[in-house]
Amino acid sequence: MSAGSRLENANPVIFQRSGERRLTAAEEEENVDDPIDDREIFDLIRTINDPEHPLSLEELNVVEQIRVQINDAESIVGIEFTPTIPHCSMATLIGLSIKVKLLRSLPNRFKIDVHITPGTHASEDAVNKQLADKERVAAALENSSLLEVVNQCLTNRNI
Amino acid sequence: MKGSASLSLLHRFSAHPDSRCWFVSWNSSGTLLASCGGDKVIRVWGREGDSWVCKNVLEDSHQRTVRKVAWSPCSNYLASASFDATTCIWKKKIEGFESLTVLEGHENEVKCVSWAPSGNLLATCSRDKSVWIWEVDEEDEYECVTVLNSHTQDVKHVVWHPTQELLASASYDNNICLYREEDDDWECQVTLEGHSSTVWSLSFDASGHRLASCSDDRTVKIWQEFPRDQAGTGESSWKCVCTLSGFHGRTVYDVDWCKVTGALATACGDDTVRVFKEDESSDPDQPIFSMVAQATKAHSQDVNCAAWNPKEAGLLATCSDEGDIAIWKFKEE
Amino acid sequence: MAADTSLLPSLVEEFVSGLQDNKAKEVATGVTEGKFAILQLVEALEESLTSSQPQTRARGIQLLSEVLNRCHGNLTEREVEVLIAFYENRLKDHYVVTSSVLQGLGALSKCKMLPPGSAVSMLRSLFQDVHVQSLMLAERSCVYNMLINLMETREAELKGLGSDFVFGFVQSMDGERDPRNLLLAFQIAKNIIYRGYDLGKFTEELFEVTGCYFPIDFTPPPNDPHRITKEELIEALRAVLTGTPKFAEFLLPLLIEKIDSDVQSAKLDSLQTLAACVTHYEHKDLAEYLDGLWTSLRREVFQTSSEKIESAGLAALTALTSCVSSSVLSSESEDVLSSFLDLVLRDCKHHLSEPDLKLVWPSAKLLQAACSASIRASHIVTSAAMPSLIEQYSNRTQCSQRRTLLEVMLRFLQSVKTSQSPDNDESVFVSMRESLCSTVFSALSENNSSLQITATSMLTSLAQQTGLLLDSDVDVAVDHLIRLLLIEDDDCVSLAVVESARALAQLHPDIFISKLIPRLKTELFSEPMDQDKNRAASGQHSHHAVRQRCLSALAAVSVQPSIVLESTPVLLEVLNSAHTGSISFSVEEVVSTCHSLQKIAEQVEDTVETGLCFHVTVLPRLFSLALQGALQGEKSSGGRSPLLDEQVLSAMVSVVSTSCSRLQPMLAAETAKKVVSLFLDADVSLLPDNSFPSQIQLLKGESWSQSQMVCLLMGCVCSLPRSVEVPQMNRLLSQLEEMSCTCSHHLSFTSAAKCFSGLVNKHPQGEALDSLIQSTLKTVCGELDSTSSTVRTQAFTLLIWVAKALLLRYHPVSATLTDKLFSLLNDSDLGPMAADGFSLLMCDSEDVLNRRCHADIRIMYRQRFFSENSAKLVQGFNAAPQEKKSNYLKALSNIVNQLPKQVQITELPALLTLLLEALSCPDQGVQLSTLSCLEPVLIDPPPAIIQQLEALVSRLLALISSPAMKVKIVSLRCVHALSQFPTHEILPFRARVIRALAQPLDDKKRLVRREAVRARGEWFLVGSPGGR
Repeated sequence: MSAGSRLENANPVIFQRSGERRLTAAEEEENVDDPIDDREIFDLIRTINDPEHPLSLEELNVVEQIRVQINDAESIVGIEFTPTIPHCSMATLIGLSIKVKLLRSLPNRFKIDVHITPGTHASEDAVNKQLADKERVAAALENSSLLEVVNQCLTNRNI
Repeated sequence: MKGSASLSLLHRFSAHPDSRCWFVSWNSSGTLLASCGGDKVIRVWGREGDSWVCKNVLEDSHQRTVRKVAWSPCSNYLASASFDATTCIWKKKIEGFESLTVLEGHENEVKCVSWAPSGNLLATCSRDKSVWIWEVDEEDEYECVTVLNSHTQDVKHVVWHPTQELLASASYDNNICLYREEDDDWECQVTLEGHSSTVWSLSFDASGHRLASCSDDRTVKIWQEFPRDQAGTGESSWKCVCTLSGFHGRTVYDVDWCKVTGALATACGDDTVRVFKEDESSDPDQPIFSMVAQATKAHSQDVNCAAWNPKEAGLLATCSDEGDIAIWKFKEE
Repeated sequence: MAADTSLLPSLVEEFVSGLQDNKAKEVATGVTEGKFAILQLVEALEESLTSSQPQTRARGIQLLSEVLNRCHGNLTEREVEVLIAFYENRLKDHYVVTSSVLQGLGALSKCKMLPPGSAVSMLRSLFQDVHVQSLMLAERSCVYNMLINLMETREAELKGLGSDFVFGFVQSMDGERDPRNLLLAFQIAKNIIYRGYDLGKFTEELFEVTGCYFPIDFTPPPNDPHRITKEELIEALRAVLTGTPKFAEFLLPLLIEKIDSDVQSAKLDSLQTLAACVTHYEHKDLAEYLDGLWTSLRREVFQTSSEKIESAGLAALTALTSCVSSSVLSSESEDVLSSFLDLVLRDCKHHLSEPDLKLVWPSAKLLQAACSASIRASHIVTSAAMPSLIEQYSNRTQCSQRRTLLEVMLRFLQSVKTSQSPDNDESVFVSMRESLCSTVFSALSENNSSLQITATSMLTSLAQQTGLLLDSDVDVAVDHLIRLLLIEDDDCVSLAVVESARALAQLHPDIFISKLIPRLKTELFSEPMDQDKNRAASGQHSHHAVRQRCLSALAAVSVQPSIVLESTPVLLEVLNSAHTGSISFSVEEVVSTCHSLQKIAEQVEDTVETGLCFHVTVLPRLFSLALQGALQGEKSSGGRSPLLDEQVLSAMVSVVSTSCSRLQPMLAAETAKKVVSLFLDADVSLLPDNSFPSQIQLLKGESWSQSQMVCLLMGCVCSLPRSVEVPQMNRLLSQLEEMSCTCSHHLSFTSAAKCFSGLVNKHPQGEALDSLIQSTLKTVCGELDSTSSTVRTQAFTLLIWVAKALLLRYHPVSATLTDKLFSLLNDSDLGPMAADGFSLLMCDSEDVLNRRCHADIRIMYRQRFFSENSAKLVQGFNAAPQEKKSNYLKALSNIVNQLPKQVQITELPALLTLLLEALSCPDQGVQLSTLSCLEPVLIDPPPAIIQQLEALVSRLLALISSPAMKVKIVSLRCVHALSQFPTHEILPFRARVIRALAQPLDDKKRLVRREAVRARGEWFLVGSPGGR
């Protein structure tokens, strides 16, 4: 983020972060299965950084737990994300970051679908189509400047 | 599922460890299988006794993913299309393969390369929306003879007609284009519309009168050439005569028409390989295709390519995102 | 002594022409020893000093300067005067000479014997003839050090220079780049400001020459030998910039500008500097910037997502308000505080009443920050903000909004500044008392747990406001607390209620005595109703929960002696009823009762009153009940007393131990005497009722129920303060030793061994102790070495406890015992027990041989043990047969695990191979303890580890597929730690690790998956653009 450049959305509304997930007794029990649930997927994506603001996707309400669908048995995950403004030019990048985070964090058996929440973006069809095209995604990630931005979104920022 | 046919696994081996295997291609005699993948390497496999071994490794030539490979009709040459925007031509020698030349020109990732049946022409296509046709002469010199810009988006696949100099291309813009040379100029003769999403791959049948296409819209379409009745320019029109829908759970990445048996194999993002055949009783102009065999969980991830062996009937190679190649036997009872 | 100058010329020659630097030292020694005078050296140097070659002159002066550096303390005033004149003159010489000249001047500046006026003259020459910033780094340092030295010793004289001094310094410093020199320069600037040097018309120049470095942007170079940190520079500069109100007009605009920076660290620095500077300012200094500062602070707190920045902003606001508050109020002038707070309230107050409360927190935090600045500010802010909050609370119905409002109110309560003087007793909230109380009480009655929790905290805060709550309010509050305690099942709510009760009990003990304790007592003694079968289970469960809550509440409120006197009898009554069976209590409840007693003993103030309560009432009762239970023993009918249960006994021991260790040593001594008599001589005078048979031989008891009482003996005699002598020590020791080696009941012989050891640890040094140890050792070894012995386990237990006792006090014989322990690692029966024994040696033990029991523990005993024995362990391991090796590994990991982290890191290279070996050991316990001790070391890895990377990676990757969840988790954390190693070292492993980490992503346990995701994510970033 260069000093002096104007952000598209200079004064975003900041949403409250959810706290850490509470540990249950079952989770510490060696022999009990914990299926992957939507909260777990949400925890994977909520800390992703927005490319422009020093805030997370959760704080900007770009991702919400209620828009995460998972079927562990059928190995399918679906995410809807809501860009902060309808003409957000970062929408593809945000979608890509979500996809990459899930690709790196979920077992290989999962099919991952990432879409824009219907009705929230001017070019949602075009963006959705790009995100769904795995050849385009693979080629994009071989581009080192794009990979750099994505990695920065996925790094833990601390100050 | 109709009839009693089976698809059984003969071999499975790891071809591109730690990355995906994008494509496999048989040479004309069906003795060698070339594969390429995200590790930027091309491997050539051959059968030794009961198993498949890697005969050659072609590396250090492409800087990025190799997306497709294609053998020349004489099988002395291998072409590879890569995301590094180049197409490499390899010459097969006794000890191995030698990189002969690198074709540059596309602005970004090259998605496909295909040899014409004559062996003198080569087609490539790219995300830069163009299709390039190259001519090769006796001295192995390549020259681009035309750049075709009929698509409005990323071009995913190009394939030549089995007998004529007719080229077909498939694109992210949901369309298929057919090109012919007219008065020394290549041009798009026909645009086939019908798919509702990206068309990933194409395959002609043995005669070349039919073309199969597969798409992200989870269908496979069969197109048929209808010649103009009257004498005249000799132009023909292509119509979609059959749509296979409801079979595939996710994007269909590849379709291959067996030139020996007429069976149609598909590679799908739901990890399954399927085989279809035309019902014997169906009307040739309105054919009905039925699924006669499938292998669910053929791979543990997306199946990217399906390729019939050109000589041995029923032998099918598939490859997948987990980096493996599988060899299948398709048997009709 | 005749000066022996004959050597001098040759030494000079050797230094100047022969370039032999070490000759300077010899000359210096000569001067210090009086062999030659310094001025004779000058004479000897005449030729060099007047040479036409500048290099020669430089050498000459170099020799002189080096000698001065070593001898400046021995010079006379006259000598100094001459030398200064000489050096000042030489400042005008060729530049090659300057470095040596400066060194000499630097040495002279340290002289105590500086003639008056010479400091000024040195500086004058310096400032005139030298352009400091053209000098090399070391030379500039020299100049700064000189200034510092002179300021130290000749302050008055330098001040006589007036503002010329400041000007000269400013010129010297302008453009300085080196961090070490900057620290020196900042120190000089700080001295100038803090020691009152006259800045004259150079105030702005001084500010600019230092302020240009603000905010500090410094990354220490790798391998910096000086280890200067960014923080040091920030602190040093901050001290300069904030030191005087004269800088206000320059500093404040600069800060306003830099607060707006995009760079987070610059923002933070500016906010912290702001908070620091206003403590030196008065209102008039910041009046014109107040608006601008407020706008910046408001913006930062509203827009930030960083907690650090938010708290820095709030701290700055508090400091600002505090400064404004202390401006003197006169009738003519404007009330500046009031107008400032008007500004703040205007911008913040309306957010507190917005419908969706989106911005309520940033606004509230700002108001609270202002509130805590001063009493007047507290008044103004709370009277403006609170009424509206209270009103909104009653108008809104949404639980989450109510909770938010309540939390905001709570924070206000906690932020107000209270006066120190007791006369001014009125709390700022007095006018709102009634509405605040009704709000809190209404919230306590709600069904929502988070609301209740916040309400209890608010109740505590209200009670802590002096003079606010009326007795009637406290009465109602206690009723609510009782109700919640008994009804609410939620753990968090109970915890909050108990905390609140604790706080209130200290302020209003009488109400608690009259209301709470009787009510809790009633609840404790009521039996669960006879329900029909369906509800029995849940009914019993909740009744049990209520009892537990009552017990912890009783403990929590018992801090004031008056309450303790009321609550302890209730607890004793519970134990009594449990024992007689008149009311049924579960073992757990009995244990909790004892824990409550122990907590009270721990938290209560040590007075005669409380001491008597425990030593005269509680402890005798406990012993009595325990003895009754023991004598009853195992009855075939009617079951047995819960007091026989090991857990209960252990809980009782903790009560005895806490009381004896911290309450009234004199009374403890009495108790000890009686307890010892009870055990040794069956003297029952300790016990309150005398209906006991007179021949109880507790230490020789045949029945386990009697012999296990020895742990109560241990609880008493081993916890005594050092000042109290243990009665009948020798008899005790001999009987305990015998008991520990012969008794067959596990708890009994172990407690006897522990008691014995506790006494040995504190036994006075000397022959008596030594012979005691020898005799015990003989007995123990006798049994251990005999294969037919039936009491090897008992002997082993005694061995290990005595070893611990001696190890803690560094007794020389401890080595013999630990050697014996090492040898037992090979023993076929006792090997594994011996390995575990090392954990016992190194860990803190709960009930004996710890600091709370006043044990004799020397510092760093663990490190010492480790360094004396690690070689032995390695040797033993190498020599051991294969099947015994795991014992050694277990012992090793037990030892290393307990070492402080710093020691682990330094000792690790020697042990690395062994630890890697331990990772391959099939024993999960060994794997786990090795991983746990490796993990912190991996976070800050020594080079030795990086050399073993291949082995480490292989073993860790193998362990991530272990069947045990805990092992998987810790090894995944270790793999994560590896990702932070230097990239070029780990890059070759990247593909392999990423592939291996794919499998635990699909583990059936969420905790494992979480660690795998963390680790894999980091490894993807290794060597990748945008990664680390």
